[in-house]
Amino acid sequence: MLDKRLMKLPGIKKIMVMLAGLAVLQALFIIGQAISLSLAITGLWSGKNLSEVIKWMGTFAASFVGRQLIELVRDRMLDKFAYSSAQQIRTTLLNKIFKLGPEVVQQVGTGNITTMTLDGIDQVENYIKLILSKVMNMMLIPWFVLATVFVFDWESGLVLTLVFPLIIIFMIILGYAAKSKADNQYAKFEMLSNHFIDSLRGISVLKYFGLSKKYADSIYTTSEQFRKATMSTIKVAILSTFALDFFTTLSIAVVAVLLGLRLINEKIFLFPALSILILTPEYFQPVRNFSSDYHATLDGKNAMTAIYNIIDNPGNKSESVKINPWTEQSQLTINHLDFNYQDSFGVKNLKLNIQGYNKVGIIGMSGSGKTTLINLLSGFFTPERSDIQIDNSNLESLNQADWQKQLIYMPQTPYVFHKTIRENVAFYHPNASDKDVRLAIEAVGLTSFVDELPDHLDTVLGEGSRALSGGQAQRIALARALIDSGRKIMLFDEPTAHLDIETEIDLKDKMLPMMDQRLVFFATHRLHWMKDMDYILVMKHGELVEQGTLEQLQQNNGPFVELTNAMIGGEADV
Amino acid sequence: MFKNDTWVKPYLKQYKRPLMLAVFLGIIAVACEVGLMFNSGYLISKSASLPINILLVYVPIVLTRTFGIGRPVFRYMERLVSHNWVLKMTSNLRRRLYVALEPQAVFFNQKYRTGDILGLLSEDINHIQNLYLRVIFPAIIGGSLYVVVVILTGFFSIFFGLSMLVLFGFVVFVIPMWSVAANGARHAQAKVMKNNLYGNLTDNVLGISDWIFSQRGQDYVELHEKSEAELHEVRDNILKFKRRRDFLVQIVFGVIVIVALIWTGNSFDGVHGSGMTNWIAAFVLGVFPLINSFEPLSQAAEESSNYQDSIKRFNELPDATKKPTETSELTSPLTIKVDHVDFSYSVESKQILNNLEIKISAGEKLAILGKSGSGKSTLTHLLRGDLIPDEGQVTINDIKTSDLNDEIDQYIGVINQVPYLFNTTIANNLRIGDETASEDKLWDVLERVGLKEMIKRLPKGLDTLVDEAGLRFSGGERHRLSLARILLKDVPIIILDEPTVGLDPITEQGLINTFFNQLDGKTVIWVTHHLQGVDSMDKVIFIEDGQIEMQGTPTQLNDTNQRFRDLKAIDAGF
Repeated sequence: MLDKRLMKLPGIKKIMVMLAGLAVLQALFIIGQAISLSLAITGLWSGKNLSEVIKWMGTFAASFVGRQLIELVRDRMLDKFAYSSAQQIRTTLLNKIFKLGPEVVQQVGTGNITTMTLDGIDQVENYIKLILSKVMNMMLIPWFVLATVFVFDWESGLVLTLVFPLIIIFMIILGYAAKSKADNQYAKFEMLSNHFIDSLRGISVLKYFGLSKKYADSIYTTSEQFRKATMSTIKVAILSTFALDFFTTLSIAVVAVLLGLRLINEKIFLFPALSILILTPEYFQPVRNFSSDYHATLDGKNAMTAIYNIIDNPGNKSESVKINPWTEQSQLTINHLDFNYQDSFGVKNLKLNIQGYNKVGIIGMSGSGKTTLINLLSGFFTPERSDIQIDNSNLESLNQADWQKQLIYMPQTPYVFHKTIRENVAFYHPNASDKDVRLAIEAVGLTSFVDELPDHLDTVLGEGSRALSGGQAQRIALARALIDSGRKIMLFDEPTAHLDIETEIDLKDKMLPMMDQRLVFFATHRLHWMKDMDYILVMKHGELVEQGTLEQLQQNNGPFVELTNAMIGGEADV
Repeated sequence: MFKNDTWVKPYLKQYKRPLMLAVFLGIIAVACEVGLMFNSGYLISKSASLPINILLVYVPIVLTRTFGIGRPVFRYMERLVSHNWVLKMTSNLRRRLYVALEPQAVFFNQKYRTGDILGLLSEDINHIQNLYLRVIFPAIIGGSLYVVVVILTGFFSIFFGLSMLVLFGFVVFVIPMWSVAANGARHAQAKVMKNNLYGNLTDNVLGISDWIFSQRGQDYVELHEKSEAELHEVRDNILKFKRRRDFLVQIVFGVIVIVALIWTGNSFDGVHGSGMTNWIAAFVLGVFPLINSFEPLSQAAEESSNYQDSIKRFNELPDATKKPTETSELTSPLTIKVDHVDFSYSVESKQILNNLEIKISAGEKLAILGKSGSGKSTLTHLLRGDLIPDEGQVTINDIKTSDLNDEIDQYIGVINQVPYLFNTTIANNLRIGDETASEDKLWDVLERVGLKEMIKRLPKGLDTLVDEAGLRFSGGERHRLSLARILLKDVPIIILDEPTVGLDPITEQGLINTFFNQLDGKTVIWVTHHLQGVDSMDKVIFIEDGQIEMQGTPTQLNDTNQRFRDLKAIDAGF
């Protein structure tokens, strides 16, 4: 019933012992409360004055307050414990995410990562809070109450003992029934419930086709279908709550009637009978509390599983190797490199030897493995088999701090943080001077743009603030890279694919000087860049099918010529 | 929060009957629970007074069983009725939300680029569901119950009735209001903080590769933890208040039990069941079940502030007012005229189009080029009449496009940069173009766009859900499907709004070939960001700063315009 991972939380043993102690104490107060109340009522019933039963009323009040105080103390303790546990899990998770980097983000999705870190952790916190106390109460309090009932009257005790397993069995059976019913309808449910958001997202298409007005009724009809499907599942799903309610109230009724009959036959007195009657609901209360929070705990449990899937991800375990800063004489040799995605091929059999400051173009059709190669070179992906050497160091993968700190990486759509221009540009060097920032901005041709803004360098960029065009975002990213002159290796992944041709030309003028005195890998399908490359790699179906200088490749009349002819000629109807 | 509300309140009135039924069932369920304890208390006391005949306790025995079964049955029914009600309301709410959004459908992608407003709105509907189920219904039931309790107890004694009025008044009104006052603002604050965390974390997860390259990931984790700690401080105060408040509520219940004891002890005289003494246990035990019904009210009231944003967002949506549509039949050939058009999105913002003049004759193929932000997309919206020019007019055969209202879809079709495919079958996605299209017609059109072979190979063919095939549909294929839809619709004018951005040149050229082969004879307005394929156009226009910078047939431009030649040379490669 309790997750194994819960039992590994630091401090859990102590908490469990305290919770057990509090549960026992609370059980005693519950019993005291029932007995004193019965004594007071029996006293009044038998004709005593209020003043004669005042001590029992006092005891009742004291027990009642005691019980609630325990609740208060327990909640306080659990609130604290749950938060500190959740906080530790969150820190571990975040550290892991920011260590594993894009690989895990790509696998899990940005949205899922943020939801997991924020809502997921909250759910875990809630889960820890609920499950520990509810389970402990359910396992301890009923026994104490039942024992008391047995002391007063074994027949009532027997009734209560028999009902309990009955409740559990029914709840399990009905739980399964509801689950299988829900599972059966799951696909239909998904579709019906996503229909609305799907319609909203496609609303412009509907409008363009003149269907949007008419579609309003379809939304209503689908929603109504969803209502009917949901109701038929709910009918079964809440049966388990019904069963719990039913057995609880029915047991109270049965106990009351049996007690009544035996009272008439003078087999039992009013005081024990009344105590039993008051205790009966208390006997069921912990299991009712548990079941009412069951769904919240399920959410928490699922969230916890998802979070631990990331935390337990071993990630790239390649040993850290010392790599010298890249110089004119440095040499990167890849004798062998294999990488596969889960469901498709990636890159195989790669052989490559690059020396010093060279501009290496990577060309190929979409899906030929250009981006995969860049991701392997950046160390975001870890190869399955590899034989890589940089100078004299042997590496398993390029996921090496010494390598990554030399990299400048430029994706198709570089990310601009929701920060000021200064912070964005100085991202790699938070302590860079304003002068350096200005110089970098000048170099990428953004000076007039920045000067026109009212807040200049302090203008906040990114979503919801000052939005940038694709070209401007590229320039900011370039400036970011420029400020760190120690970075001698540049990786470009189709940086101009989304840009209009004139912006591309402007940007090219800014980029080319930056590429001098650096090692550059430039993946693109825009052919004009090839003239500026010292060396070209041609990718096809994940394989490096040809490499050489532009002249060599043009003379070879091989895959490169075939590819470029198709690109220019445009005869292919793919 | 409900002042001037038109999204929540009206539904309470609209479906008054099922709502009243739900409330009635809820009250009956609680009444049965109270009745069970009340009646059991009476039954045991009466039995203990040793009635001569068992028939004297026959009625309480029967009632005990009735109440015992009644409580779960009514509770079950209440849940079904209230869920059904809420889902019914949801269907209406969804339709209404859709209708409110529909007029602006075309601008969604631009206007609400930041954040997922659609997801947010659809989430809001779930929030409103919870508002009904967790706040409004319990509040109505609790309030009604309060009235019943006070009236019934007042019927026995003014003193008792008044004390219940005050004590339960605390639980039903005073403490919930106090909770809202004390914690409402904190909840709102916590929500804002959490939203900020969401935005922040998303921002930084999107930019994760930069954190890795800058090797400052640890810095971010620390920063995030700091914000979390601030949020925790607010939440801690919420919890602290909640623990103390819950304790206080329980103490009030304790006082109610004592008051019930004192009142019954004072007013019901007698010895061993003579007089009214058998009712003592009944009244005292009857109080306990009420605790469960009244206890959650404070928490519910406190959390109601969480729903405020959703209600506000809905009420801020424009009210859908239908413009009277007068249909004007256009007869081909259709000539489009952009006549001295000025346009800016608002008075303050910069002018997008400036005295623009274009004439497009029937069957003409026009390419529009320009940097991003030059007004290309704005022009397409003006052509469709979704935007109205500040000065000048856009006409088809001398009728303003904005006057064509919803008839415009008969004449102009649009293919976007990112064609939306609905999460349904391929056939349904195609039939958006023509709802009555036969299967043969669908295959025919798929053949024309070059997808027939591929879809034939899918096991479920036309009935494949696009989502299942989502991985298989590449960018180019999505555009082909979108073209198929347009072909089914068979409109005379087609706007292609940068449909090939980001595709590799071979895929792009293939797609362009298909587009123009299949759209032969129609007017095509092609917005594009570079020059691949423009040679097959009748006319090319470059827009810059809201005006036409150059125009002519591709041959003319090639012969006379140096800039055009330069761009073309670069675009071609080498």
